[in-house]
Amino acid sequence: MATDLIIEDLTIEYSTGDYVLRPIDSMTLTISSGELVLLLGASGSGKTTLLSAVAGLLTPSSGRIWFGDTEVTGLRGSDLVDYRRHTVGVIFQIFNLVPSLTASENVQAPLRAAKVKAKTAQARAETLLTRMGLADRMAHHPGDLSGGQQQRVAIARALAHDPPLVLADEPTAHLDYIQVEEILKLLRELATADRVLLVATHDERLLPLADRVIELTRRASDVTRPPEQVRLGPGEILFEQGSDGDLVYIVEEGTIELVRTRPDGSEDLLGRRGPGTYFGELAPLFGIQRSATARAATPAVLTGYGMRDFRARIGATPAQILYANQG
Amino acid sequence: MWMVTLRDLQWRHRRFIIAMAATSIVFAMTLLLAGVDKSLHDEPDRILSVIGADRWLVAARTSGPFTTSTAIPASIAHDVAGTTGVSRADPIVLLHSTLTEPSLSDVNVIGYNITGIGAPTVTSGRTPRAPNETVADVALGLHLGQHVDLGGRRLTVVGLARGITYYFGTPTLFIPIVDAQQIAFGGRPLAMAIVTKGAPQRTFPGLRVMSNDQVASDLLRPLKSGTQSIYFIDILLWVVAAGIIGSIVYLSALERTRDFAVLKATGATDASLMAGLALQAALLSLVSVVIAIAVAKLLAPLFPFAVEITISAILTLTLVSMAVGLMASLAGLRRAITVDPALAFGAA
Repeated sequence: MATDLIIEDLTIEYSTGDYVLRPIDSMTLTISSGELVLLLGASGSGKTTLLSAVAGLLTPSSGRIWFGDTEVTGLRGSDLVDYRRHTVGVIFQIFNLVPSLTASENVQAPLRAAKVKAKTAQARAETLLTRMGLADRMAHHPGDLSGGQQQRVAIARALAHDPPLVLADEPTAHLDYIQVEEILKLLRELATADRVLLVATHDERLLPLADRVIELTRRASDVTRPPEQVRLGPGEILFEQGSDGDLVYIVEEGTIELVRTRPDGSEDLLGRRGPGTYFGELAPLFGIQRSATARAATPAVLTGYGMRDFRARIGATPAQILYANQG
Repeated sequence: MWMVTLRDLQWRHRRFIIAMAATSIVFAMTLLLAGVDKSLHDEPDRILSVIGADRWLVAARTSGPFTTSTAIPASIAHDVAGTTGVSRADPIVLLHSTLTEPSLSDVNVIGYNITGIGAPTVTSGRTPRAPNETVADVALGLHLGQHVDLGGRRLTVVGLARGITYYFGTPTLFIPIVDAQQIAFGGRPLAMAIVTKGAPQRTFPGLRVMSNDQVASDLLRPLKSGTQSIYFIDILLWVVAAGIIGSIVYLSALERTRDFAVLKATGATDASLMAGLALQAALLSLVSVVIAIAVAKLLAPLFPFAVEITISAILTLTLVSMAVGLMASLAGLRRAITVDPALAFGAA
């Protein structure tokens, strides 16, 4: 049965160390059955987080994930275990084969966990490993296999239950170019009419493989809009931690506080900016989210500039901009 | 998941073998201690069974025939024998002494009426028929016809018996009561107790009637601190065994964190992962018990004391070791449950 993967207004937020991160923010996405979709993005852009949520391994902060008629985000207990067993197959970044098991046993493991009889599981593993070109490596332990061979075993394991949804996390991350070629061919073959294949990667060699590419990394800002003056009353927020940002702000009057929100809701004051100083340059410079909240400590007047105008105004290179603001 | 569990045992076999070796030595020690404890508790019953009395009459306000130094006239036996419920009554002398020949040895001495109650069952030779003859426990290493010096008297070994020990394996000499009275009382006709066949139906002035259970309890009392020490050491050994099993299973769980995450992510349940770890703990315990039984059987004869390794002790060890193994692995089991399957997506 053809099934689509639907992601509705998905937000995933978690605390790490001393602050809160929101790698996925209000994402909405539909992937049709038969599509091979690449999630392209740098480290920390939320690719793996999104895959974890789709695999039913992570509960999002809000939003919903549907696969066909199944609301993945609503599954609990044995329903969730069944979903992981029969609906979704995962290819992990570092293969994640169990070192004590042979290649064949690694493929059999999900089948045996689902109470499939030993002989049936063994036959299925043989079929899949033969398809992966590993007929002569079935009795080998992962440590005796090359990276490419381990990844093929991992792919065979993901296909053990012939799932309609396959997720691959950086499937070429630890492979040389010859091994990458083998894996690319296999991934393309997996994308059949009745299967959704979602691949997270930062490897642009995979781009021609995809039916669709979803970029999770924001590009560096190239906004050319006119400067924008902002007036704030005391306590009024200019921008929030985790939000996107195109503008760098120069303080004309008053004082701006830069604060970082901790997981318990409390705030760390990172610094204050007074007249003649600037802040908020990192988000537009690198295309990343705001790492702090900017709030007026007193009545304040600011001017926001696009990166190109800002650089023209202060006559500095990006490196000089960063260096100048470190003090 | 049994396949994963058994393969993991094979994969980490060196560690498990070392753990099994250590655990089996600890279990063997607990088994040997249980054997010593069993022997200690059986000794009174065994010696009382050899003597074969139904009741013991001792001086009033004494704790018992084996632990008293208060003697009573041996002639009381005649009065007791004539009372209702008693078919026979004989005096008996119980003392602790030393053999000076052929070598200096501590011995228990039981002086009994050679035609009455108290004759031992010999494994070779015969029982004494006249003064200066003795039946000795085989633990003394004596042979028939050998002469021994006891309290200045020269005795001839005419019989040997097995398992007639008390007070932590101290061997016993059975001698005619006249010889015992000579050694203990300079020949005066005294006794430590009157032993009877049947139970006297009345009381006797200045005497106390004791059952075999009361006498056995009295005989064990001086060993109380010893048996308590054994019990305490036994508990410590169980703690050590639990520590070994627990740490091995926990280490295994710790090292397999990523494996557990992957297995969960691919559909394994918490229960199946826990069952796998519990099986490892149970197997570790069970194999250790089997090795421990063999080690204990090998070591038991080397003890200078009868060590009784019984079927019930082996069954107890098996059941308790399984329970201890499972309890000790709780930390590892908890670890398996709390592993976040999303960890499988981690980079390294």
